[in-house]
Amino acid sequence: MPWDVLVFYLLAAVCVLAAGGVVVATNPVHSAIFLVLCFFNVAAVFVMLGAEFLAAVQIIVYTGAILVLVLFVLMLVDPDDLPEFHAARPVQRAVGVLLGAILLLEVGAAILNRTVVGQQGNATPANVAAVGGNVQALGRNLYTQYLLPFEIVSLVLLVGVVGAIVLALPERLGERVGQRRATISLGHPRGTDVAALPPGLDGPDGETPVRVASGDRPVATGSGRREATSELEATRELIMVRDADERTVVGGGRDSGRS
Amino acid sequence: MADQPLWLTFLVAFVFMNALLIGMAYMTYFERKVLAAMQDRMGPTRTGPKGLLQPIADGIKLLGKEDLIPAAADKWVFFFAPLVVFVTAIVRVAVIPFGGTVEIFGRQVNLFAADLNVGALFLLAFGSLGVYGIILGAYASANRFSLLGGLRAAAQVVSYEIVLGLSLVGVFLLSQSLSVRQILLQQQADLQLGPLSLPNWFILSQPLAFVIFLIAGIAETNRAPFDLPEAETELVSGFHTEYSAFRFSFYFLGEYINMIVLSLFAATLFLGGTDGPGADRYWGLGLVWLVLKLLFFLFFYVWLRATLPRFRYDQLMGIAWKVLLPLVLVNIMVTAFIRLVGNGQL
Repeated sequence: MPWDVLVFYLLAAVCVLAAGGVVVATNPVHSAIFLVLCFFNVAAVFVMLGAEFLAAVQIIVYTGAILVLVLFVLMLVDPDDLPEFHAARPVQRAVGVLLGAILLLEVGAAILNRTVVGQQGNATPANVAAVGGNVQALGRNLYTQYLLPFEIVSLVLLVGVVGAIVLALPERLGERVGQRRATISLGHPRGTDVAALPPGLDGPDGETPVRVASGDRPVATGSGRREATSELEATRELIMVRDADERTVVGGGRDSGRS
Repeated sequence: MADQPLWLTFLVAFVFMNALLIGMAYMTYFERKVLAAMQDRMGPTRTGPKGLLQPIADGIKLLGKEDLIPAAADKWVFFFAPLVVFVTAIVRVAVIPFGGTVEIFGRQVNLFAADLNVGALFLLAFGSLGVYGIILGAYASANRFSLLGGLRAAAQVVSYEIVLGLSLVGVFLLSQSLSVRQILLQQQADLQLGPLSLPNWFILSQPLAFVIFLIAGIAETNRAPFDLPEAETELVSGFHTEYSAFRFSFYFLGEYINMIVLSLFAATLFLGGTDGPGADRYWGLGLVWLVLKLLFFLFFYVWLRATLPRFRYDQLMGIAWKVLLPLVLVNIMVTAFIRLVGNGQL
């Protein structure tokens, strides 16, 4: 067996095993590590196919950026808070197995029919070498033949970026706080839906928003500026901390908003 | 570029990597001496003449220390995280050319381990993989300080990686290649500015990109003033708080090797690498020029550390996204425009 075939099977085996590990691992961080391994091996397969540029981009974009951000989020989440990782949900499982089986059948049928091997394109090694390598060949194709789809994809990505910025903007934080210098505490309730907390149950100090009865709100930080508060705006409480000793709640839920 | 047997390539790579390790050891000595001089101290003096054996003594000391593993640690991840930093750092030296082809013992030997056609991207890719060692080590330590350090490292590296990559696009546009060796060869030509004949180093045609690359590179290697992931005063020592003995030293090795590789990279891409007076006649002189340029960058690193206070975290992110990124995009557009005009296509 030639060496490159042997190396390919080694890479493919590690890749498939790692992909299995992503699903099997109970710790989400371990899943992410397996995914890194899988992506890395896919990049190596790209190198074997002579697509060095794709390999480098695969590592830079997927492994180096996207998965880092995934890990970033996973590290902040307690795995015990993710019921999907533990509890058996029969309906979900059944649907998952069914869809997986269908996918397996499809892929298997395609491989057996040899329809995976499509028409040979014109990107033969000789043609690629003629334009100066696979970076040049890819660039030429993307920016001439596929210019319109390429630009549309970048537009879609731009929409995604704008959407992320809109979502990340604090709920009109600037308007409510005005010019006052204030720090948002680590107990920022974004992501902790107030309504989801059982009434009367407060988390550890500073972790979850404290419900404040409308009457006895402490030092009304910026409350003078809250006349214009609409109902839509104030659905979550925001903890403002100026120093370690003081904690005031600005902009309560709907009930406290009408005080 | 001579065709050479695979074992010779491996031998060359082996020599380079070991040279890098020794260089790293003496980088710590260099840093301590320079810092000491800047702070009016002596620095290491006791071990060997002028303290020259200090790095070796440090290495032996680290080997002899007890290797502690926190009870709550995620053991396997804790084991391999430091190795990720070390391996991804040292493997990057493979694409850096230390010269052309020379004849040693009657054999044609390439003074570079690999001439990838995406060499520059290879360097960037492995630079971005290094952050996994930091994040995973921080996570596996089961320590809040470490976790905070790891989170900072993740956000910082992802942001500065974009700037670092984009700052090179101008160079790629001018050299029309992603291969580090091709970029180096391009710079050995002369740049004619009227009566003035200058070396075609890309620092002259891409000064803005050079400055931005340097800043982003310092942030990417987590060095002062961007060393927030390991800020001692706030985070004990950040992501490696729980690491001890040789496992700790892998982080240390990784950081210093990253500095050296990045300096070599900057010297090769912007300062003409091995290019210099007389370098085309004697290949040894080319190496000397490269080492001199390397020393300049390393001195610059230490100088910054001795001079500047640490940034605040929001300032750090603000610089990347609000200052450097727009600048680098403007640089790309201007370069592309000039390139088109120069080609007569506009």
